[in-house]
Amino acid sequence: MTGIRQMIITLFVVAVTCAVILSFVYAFTEPRIAETQAQLTLSGLEEVIAAYEYREIITDTLWQAVDSSGDNIGIVFRVFPQGYAGPIPITVGLDNDGKITGIRVASAAEGLAETPGLGAKITQLGFTEQFKGKTAADIALEQEGGSIEAITAATISSRAVTAGVKKGIEIYGACVVPSCDPGVVFSDADEFVEVIRDTLWKAVSGSDTLGIIFVGVVQGYLDDIKFMVGYNKQKIITGITILYSQETDGIGEVIRNEEFLEKFKTGVPEAISGATVSSKALINGVFNGIGKFKEYIE
Amino acid sequence: MSKVNIFTRGLIKDNAVFVLMIGLCPALATSSTVRDGFGMGIAATFVVVFSNLIVSLLRKNIPNEVRIPIFILIISTFVTIIDYMMQAFQPDLYRALGVFVPLIVVNCMILGRAEAFASKSPVIDSVLDGLGTGLGFTLALTIMGSLREILGNGTFLGMTVFGEAFKSAPVIFMIMSPGAFLVIGILKALINKYVKKESL
Repeated sequence: MTGIRQMIITLFVVAVTCAVILSFVYAFTEPRIAETQAQLTLSGLEEVIAAYEYREIITDTLWQAVDSSGDNIGIVFRVFPQGYAGPIPITVGLDNDGKITGIRVASAAEGLAETPGLGAKITQLGFTEQFKGKTAADIALEQEGGSIEAITAATISSRAVTAGVKKGIEIYGACVVPSCDPGVVFSDADEFVEVIRDTLWKAVSGSDTLGIIFVGVVQGYLDDIKFMVGYNKQKIITGITILYSQETDGIGEVIRNEEFLEKFKTGVPEAISGATVSSKALINGVFNGIGKFKEYIE
Repeated sequence: MSKVNIFTRGLIKDNAVFVLMIGLCPALATSSTVRDGFGMGIAATFVVVFSNLIVSLLRKNIPNEVRIPIFILIISTFVTIIDYMMQAFQPDLYRALGVFVPLIVVNCMILGRAEAFASKSPVIDSVLDGLGTGLGFTLALTIMGSLREILGNGTFLGMTVFGEAFKSAPVIFMIMSPGAFLVIGILKALINKYVKKESL
C-alpha cells in the first residue's frame, strides 16, 4: 500500500509545483504578451494611413484615424478574402474622399498562406503601391477592366486582394455612397450630428435630440449585410435601409423588400420563410445595434 | 563515459535528426528558414536541458510506475514556460513556429533522454547530455534551414545571397514541404556514405 500512496503523493507534489511555477511565469509574461499583441495590431495601421490616434470601432476590424487636433482623417479596416491557399489578411487605409491611402498584406510570418515566391508576392510594394490614391471603382485587375496589374502566375491571389479591398470599401468605407444619407431613415430631424464617423449620428431638431441613426454590419447567408437604422426617443424604429447585401437572388435578397423593412417600425418582425438566415441576421443586427447605441439618445 | 563523450554523443554521434532519425516532424516543418530552424532548436534545447536536470534531481524519488506521467509533467511545464517567453519576447518567431512550440511536449527526443539517460544518471552528466542532444538538434535544423533558405528564397537570415537575379527566381520548392524531405534525404545519404558507422 505504501507504493500506491507514494505514487499519489509524488504525482500530486510534482503537479502542484509545476502549476505554481507556471502561474508565476504567466504573471510575469502576461502584460508583456498583451503589449506586443497591441503593438502588432497598431503597427499595421500606421503603414496604411498615418494618424495621431486610431480609435477602434469594431474590434480588430475597423478603426477611425484621427489627427492631432481630433479631426477624422479617414478609416482603417481589415479584410480576410479567400486566396489560393487560405485567407489573406489585408489592412486598408481610406481617406475621407473614399481614396485608398495604402494597403498592406500580412507577411507569411503573420499568417499569410499563399505560395512563397508566387502568390506571396502580393505582399510586395510593387503590387500594393498600385492601390494608392484609387477609389473602389478602379479596384479590379486590368483584365477585368480595372487598373491593378496582376502578378504573373498569381492571378488568384491578386484577384482575391482586389476583391477583398473592394468589398471592404463597400462595407466599411466612407459613406460617400448617396444611400448613406441618415435622412433616409429619420425624416423628422433637421440636422444630423455625427458621433462616430460612418456609424452613428444623433438626429437633432433645434436643441432637442430626437433619436439616433446607426449603421451596422452582420454576417448574412452569403456575405455581410450592412444596414442603417433610425431609432427615436419613443423607442420606435423610424426607418431602416439596406446599404449592402449580396444574398441569394430572389431568396435572401427579399430582406430588401419595403414590406419586410416596414414591419420593423411596429415591433420585431418574424423571419421570412425561405430566407431565415438572412432575415434573422438582419433582425438580430438591428436590435443588437439598438441595445448598443441607445445610450446616445440621452 | 567521459564528460566530453556524454556531450558529443547527442551532438554528433547520435544526432537526433541525422543519425537516430527522431524528432523529424518539427525538423521538417520548421526548417524552412535559418531563423525558424535555429529558434526551434534553441527552444527544444532549453526544454531538454531543464527536463533532464529536474528528472535527474528527482530520479531517486520518482516511483517507477508513474515515471512517465511525471516526466511529461516536467517537460510540459518547461514547454509552457518557453511558449510564454517566446510569445512575450519573440512574437514573430512564435507565429512562424506556430503549433510546433506546444508540440515540443511530444518530441520523443526529449522524453527519450529523460527515460533513457537522466532518470539513471547524475545531475551534471544529465545536463551535459541534454545540452549535447539539444544542440545536435539545433545544428541539424540550422543546417537544413540554411540550405533551404539559401536555395529556396535566395537569402540567409534575410540577407540576399547570390544577388538579386537569383532572389527573384529561386528554387521555390526548397522552402515548401517537398524541399524538406529532399534536403533531409540528401543529407542522410551523404552522412551514410562518408561517416563510418560504429557497430551498435
